[in-house]
Amino acid sequence: MEMDSLPNGNNATGTPIAATPNPAPPPPSNLPQLTESLKLEHQFLRVPFEHYKKSLRANHRAVEKEMSAVISGVNEAADLSPDDAVNHLNSLVSRLQGLKRKLEEGSRAEHLQAQKCRARLDHLESADAENLPEWNNTRLKRILVDYMLRMSYYDTAVKLAESSNLQDLVDIDVFQEAKKVIDALQNKDVAPALAWCADNKSRLKKSKSKLEFQLRLQEFIELVRAENNLRAIAYARKYLAPWGATHMKELQRVLATLAFKKDTECATYKVLFEDKQWDFLVDQFKQEFCKLYGMTLEPLLNIYLQAGLSALKTPYCYEDDCTKEDPLSQEAFRTLALPLPYSKQHHSKLVCYITKELMDTENPPQVLPNGYVYSTKALEEMAKKNNGRIICPRTGLVCSDTDLVKAYIS
Amino acid sequence: MELSSIKDAFDRVAKKQKLSSSKSQEVVDQVGREIEQALATIQSSRDLSSPVDQKSVLTELKFKIDAIGPLQQLEGSNKELNASISKYQKLLEKLLNPDISKAYRNVDFDTRIINQIIANHFYRQGLFDLGDSVVNEAGEPDATALRSQFLEMHQIIAAMREKNLQPALTWVSANREKLDHIGSNLELKIHRLQFVEVLQNGTRADALKYARTYLAPFASLNKDEFPKLMGCLLYAGRLESSPYSELMSPIHWEMTTEELARQFCTLLGQSYENPLSVAVAAGVEGLPTLLKLANVMAAKKQEWQEMKQLPVPVELGKEFQFHSIFVCPVSRDQGSEENPPMLLPCLHVLCKQSIMKLSKNSTRTFKCPYCPAEATVTHCRQLYF
Repeated sequence: MEMDSLPNGNNATGTPIAATPNPAPPPPSNLPQLTESLKLEHQFLRVPFEHYKKSLRANHRAVEKEMSAVISGVNEAADLSPDDAVNHLNSLVSRLQGLKRKLEEGSRAEHLQAQKCRARLDHLESADAENLPEWNNTRLKRILVDYMLRMSYYDTAVKLAESSNLQDLVDIDVFQEAKKVIDALQNKDVAPALAWCADNKSRLKKSKSKLEFQLRLQEFIELVRAENNLRAIAYARKYLAPWGATHMKELQRVLATLAFKKDTECATYKVLFEDKQWDFLVDQFKQEFCKLYGMTLEPLLNIYLQAGLSALKTPYCYEDDCTKEDPLSQEAFRTLALPLPYSKQHHSKLVCYITKELMDTENPPQVLPNGYVYSTKALEEMAKKNNGRIICPRTGLVCSDTDLVKAYIS
Repeated sequence: MELSSIKDAFDRVAKKQKLSSSKSQEVVDQVGREIEQALATIQSSRDLSSPVDQKSVLTELKFKIDAIGPLQQLEGSNKELNASISKYQKLLEKLLNPDISKAYRNVDFDTRIINQIIANHFYRQGLFDLGDSVVNEAGEPDATALRSQFLEMHQIIAAMREKNLQPALTWVSANREKLDHIGSNLELKIHRLQFVEVLQNGTRADALKYARTYLAPFASLNKDEFPKLMGCLLYAGRLESSPYSELMSPIHWEMTTEELARQFCTLLGQSYENPLSVAVAAGVEGLPTLLKLANVMAAKKQEWQEMKQLPVPVELGKEFQFHSIFVCPVSRDQGSEENPPMLLPCLHVLCKQSIMKLSKNSTRTFKCPYCPAEATVTHCRQLYF
């Protein structure tokens, strides 16, 4: 169709529209790249597995506990009067029945979580050359849901996941657990956070987490703020003293607030009474939470964006005539990229000013008499439409297609 | 990647879980049965009013349960499960990259800017409720700057999908000057779509009238196109069996819609492709190289945080090449205003500084490093990409 090409050479200024009707679909040579990109998906597989593991452990612990209770119950029966012993045994039987129901429920939950793990493996496996654009699109959505969950934008996260049917591919359920704790911390309530610490005691201990200590310190500060000094001291004896061996300095500093009180002007202690300590606790909790589930500490979006902006960043991106198709032509992306390094090139990469296509051996660059360079494709097209006349879109120079020379760029 | 081996390892975990779970059930049943049996024995001995030796029944029960060893059984199956779990985790760590944040630079990544980018990302896709939801939850009322424009664009496109061209035409005529400036012939294309519709559904007179009113003003600019459109008039009402049936293809609607979206974005000063998608896709492609680099540079953390330019190239696909970057094949320097690319008479290209070096500051002729041709500086010309 004639109309889809440039009607004249004189209107090419900054118009990638007419000249590039469709962005090239990814060639099959992308497949090794796909393999590389799948290797980045550790978190995607790890998080549901951690969740699965957690239920496995909880179920196992429940059985073990109930079973030892029943066994010792049987042992006790021997010492009871005959009637009591029968009653006792009957209660043990119903206890076992209860345990059995619990086991069935637990196993159903485990099964669901195993399915989720499997759904993710299947999703990774489903990526191939044909569905790649759609698959990549889903990946971006997954990355966005991850961002929203970490930022506590739960409504948007749920909406996005539901509208794209991604529930199995995102970790909304896992973050529900975090949400309770975070909401409470924002309301200055440490109880759910402490309960979470107790639930995950052994793993937190292994990673030398001091989240519990920090929560305890905050509770202590709140007692001091309320001028409840005796209770504060009792609290410190019970909950803070055990941390003395490893965190003496912090402990001493916080204890000194007993002397300074909440309206102190002494900067070292004043800061301990500030509200932002609670924000700090939220951050600390989020970090521990992410670590425990094998998530990156930064949102995936930030990680990918940083890598992408670094790879895209060139000095040309910050020039006024930067093409709009480059994300770095936009102020928002430019600002984000500011502290990032520039990319490096070992070989020339030339993009035709007219078609925005790469100039390579198949579409080699040609030089006009004024030194301006365009792709062979663009110039041939122009010559065909204008009976061999070439008009330089940047300088207006008119020449013939016989004046062009091919440049060799290695 | 060996996804299949990961799957196999996971299947083993799932199998062990099933085993362990049925083992637990079994143990619970066994113990339950023994207790019930003991109860029955006690009961029956009472009914027979024989001397009750409840004590010995209970002792026997205890022995039996000890023989089952419920806790040991539970422990045993759990141990096997745990072994398969840790194997799976190790495999994940080996085959996948366990920490993709290794290449992350700890800089201030402004959350407000990211939220604004995300809101616009949704708006430009026409997902207005999602965009609004982000704006709400993040508390960024300023992020809606482009909302109304993208809303207009999506309304025009939605109307076009229902073969209603009126909103498109209204927008085109309101922006005629700017569209002319970027060399757009969108208006003609939209009128052509309408003309073909009239040809199919209306009378020849209607079509002729439409052509006179709306197509004629474009005639002088599109000499090749016009005879074809006029030829169509002969086939009003039966265009499908004419030489011009191709004009009825729905592809024209699709292409014109896409072109409108592109030009709408151009006039907005926005890209057509979603910039967030582009940046993240570039990140996915670039991150493996960056992670390797971060690994190599692990000992020089400080350097990683401070470098102004990556030490190695990160290769990205064609779709991410937005700028012409000339790298001198001799000096490996990137071309710049002070050090521009120069075309030698033999048509090889070097940067100016390399040419100055080869010619000893333009005091003598020199040989091209790529072919033996002689050149002098005066015969070299600067190139503009």
